[in-house]
Amino acid sequence: MTGAEAMIKCLEAENITKVFGYPGVAIAPFYEGLYNSDIKHILVRQEQNAGHAASGYARLSRKPAVCVVTSGPGATNLITALATAYADSIPIVAISGQVSSKLLGRDVFQEADMRGATKSFVKYSYLVKDPDDIPSVFKEAFYIASTGRKGPVLIDIPMDVQNSTLKKPFVYPDSVHIRGYKPEIKVNMNQIRRVVQALAQARRPLLCAGGGVILGNAETTIRAFCEKFNIPIVHTMMGMGVIPKSHPLNFGMLGNNGKPYANNAVEQADVLIVVGARIADRAVSKPESLARRVAVIHIDIDTAEIGKNLGPTIPLVGDVDDIFKILLEEEIRPADPSWIAELEDIKHGTVDTRVFSDRYVNPNLLVQTLSDKMDDNAIYVADVGQNQLWSADNYIMKDGRFLTTGGMGTMGYSIPAAMGAKMFAPERQTVAVCGDGAFQMCMNELATMRENNAEIKIVIVRNNYLGLVREYQYNLYNGHYEGVRLGEWPKYDKIAEAYDIPFFICSTNDALDETIDAFLAYPGASLMICDVDSNDRVK
Amino acid sequence: MKGIFSVLVENKDGVLSGVSGLFARRGFNIDTLAVGETDNHEISSMTIVSTGDQRTIDQIEKQLNKNIDVIKVRRLSEAKSVCLEMMLVKVAYNASNRSSLIELCQITGAKIMKVAPKFLLLEYHGEPESVEDFIQLLRSYGIQEIQRTGTIAMEKV
Repeated sequence: MTGAEAMIKCLEAENITKVFGYPGVAIAPFYEGLYNSDIKHILVRQEQNAGHAASGYARLSRKPAVCVVTSGPGATNLITALATAYADSIPIVAISGQVSSKLLGRDVFQEADMRGATKSFVKYSYLVKDPDDIPSVFKEAFYIASTGRKGPVLIDIPMDVQNSTLKKPFVYPDSVHIRGYKPEIKVNMNQIRRVVQALAQARRPLLCAGGGVILGNAETTIRAFCEKFNIPIVHTMMGMGVIPKSHPLNFGMLGNNGKPYANNAVEQADVLIVVGARIADRAVSKPESLARRVAVIHIDIDTAEIGKNLGPTIPLVGDVDDIFKILLEEEIRPADPSWIAELEDIKHGTVDTRVFSDRYVNPNLLVQTLSDKMDDNAIYVADVGQNQLWSADNYIMKDGRFLTTGGMGTMGYSIPAAMGAKMFAPERQTVAVCGDGAFQMCMNELATMRENNAEIKIVIVRNNYLGLVREYQYNLYNGHYEGVRLGEWPKYDKIAEAYDIPFFICSTNDALDETIDAFLAYPGASLMICDVDSNDRVK
Repeated sequence: MKGIFSVLVENKDGVLSGVSGLFARRGFNIDTLAVGETDNHEISSMTIVSTGDQRTIDQIEKQLNKNIDVIKVRRLSEAKSVCLEMMLVKVAYNASNRSSLIELCQITGAKIMKVAPKFLLLEYHGEPESVEDFIQLLRSYGIQEIQRTGTIAMEKV
């Protein structure tokens, strides 16, 4: 058996049925292995999108997804996607071809030091030098990617290692033993006691849910916990989906792009339970001062998150679902209904003073109408920019998923990620929402989408500008708009025509209902332009 | 404050750069770093000395623990550990100050490894502070070259 054949065997042992990739000479032996296997290869149009598609796929399957690239430029193109997955803790196993091991370090054609280059963007990486290491490397890679705090793992594998024959018989290991990696943390019952004590004394408890809740598959348990003890919930952008919008305990997204009443709830709380969130600058502007006025309980699977951004806390490290299953069994007096009533008053007393142009489509109304009309279990992928913030602010979360890159903020994420998500769950309605800037960063993937019948729906929020930077220049540089005008190109109807998908356009609020209905009703992939005023701002 | 970390790591390629890179990208300071194999060929031991506030030192420990190639991290207190550093130094001399330099070596316990026409090559080891002190004493003679190992440390208990 060759190294390449062993790689395929490993993927089969991990039940991988699809890989996203882009071939080249240094990974060609692996592709020969793919040719002889049942694993389906999805050819993307640029390597970065293989990573984003794997991210979308992994977020839906809740297991590591695989992307494959060749050496040199193919590998370096993938780095942005790895960094994106790392910042959002998405489990990906990335395989990169490498020049022959004898040529390593000689700067030969298409050689790039991929391990060195990705060191700070992956959870772990391997350079495989012996084909007999392939089974254990793959086993470890999948294990590391999917346990503890999840994240991308890179396997860089020279061409000669793919081609050479294993000396030992192929055995895929059952278990993993890594001396320095013990992700299964037993919940510390003393800390549980401290948490329960703090909650028992709380009069105005509040739970802040981050993306870690979804990554830890703990949405149901957390909801049950909050319902049992009458604890209101706010969430970060990555925590969208922990609780439906209509839930009486949901007080919205916090942060400088969130709901004022969510931030107000944080101000009013006396005990704040932060779960699976790193509370970075976008969520709380001065996180270190938070702990001075409120008792913070910080629950995370990653010990290193404790005390990184937040000040002193009651730390509780472990699997979020395990922790909340234990906490659910505790008997704590539920929070007083007057606390919820107080938050309700603040929520209903908050008036949105922003003014949006009525010459075009109001972006808030667009997201509200669109998400309201979408299926209950639909997948909504927001790109980066004003469209992301309008989306997060107005999305009506039901029983679906809201995917976006909150950590790295990578433009061009939406279409490939939506495609990956759709390929895992073809039965679910999947909508990618992007600005006209982000769209042009990933529109090449329309071909992949068509070729693979990934029937996603794309909404382009068009204002002919890089809107969020324009807004920044408006606020900070007296409206000196430099380098942000996209202009009139491309002609989007022609793009839709080129890929043979129906084109919808909506330029007024009055036409929203009807256009969105038609757009969503069309059974296959479709493209919708929504014209918004370039003067419309997030704040 | 000062943080002294005794770190056991996998003895394989890329591990040292991984550990030092962790310091670099998070803005932590490495004052000294000493690495060597342990009695087990698969495991190396590092002594890392860093300075920073309490939060930084705590974060260093957590980030080191998070690194998959790191097997064990111990934070040592200076009081409860033996800390040593070794140094090689070339010191210039002339006819008038040669004997005082040799006398200084005798008092401090520095070993003369080589007598050259214009310099003495000295070996000195001791607690990190005493190495600093010795360097100060040598300055008036003229230090030509210096090599320090960085601190190595071990708990007394």
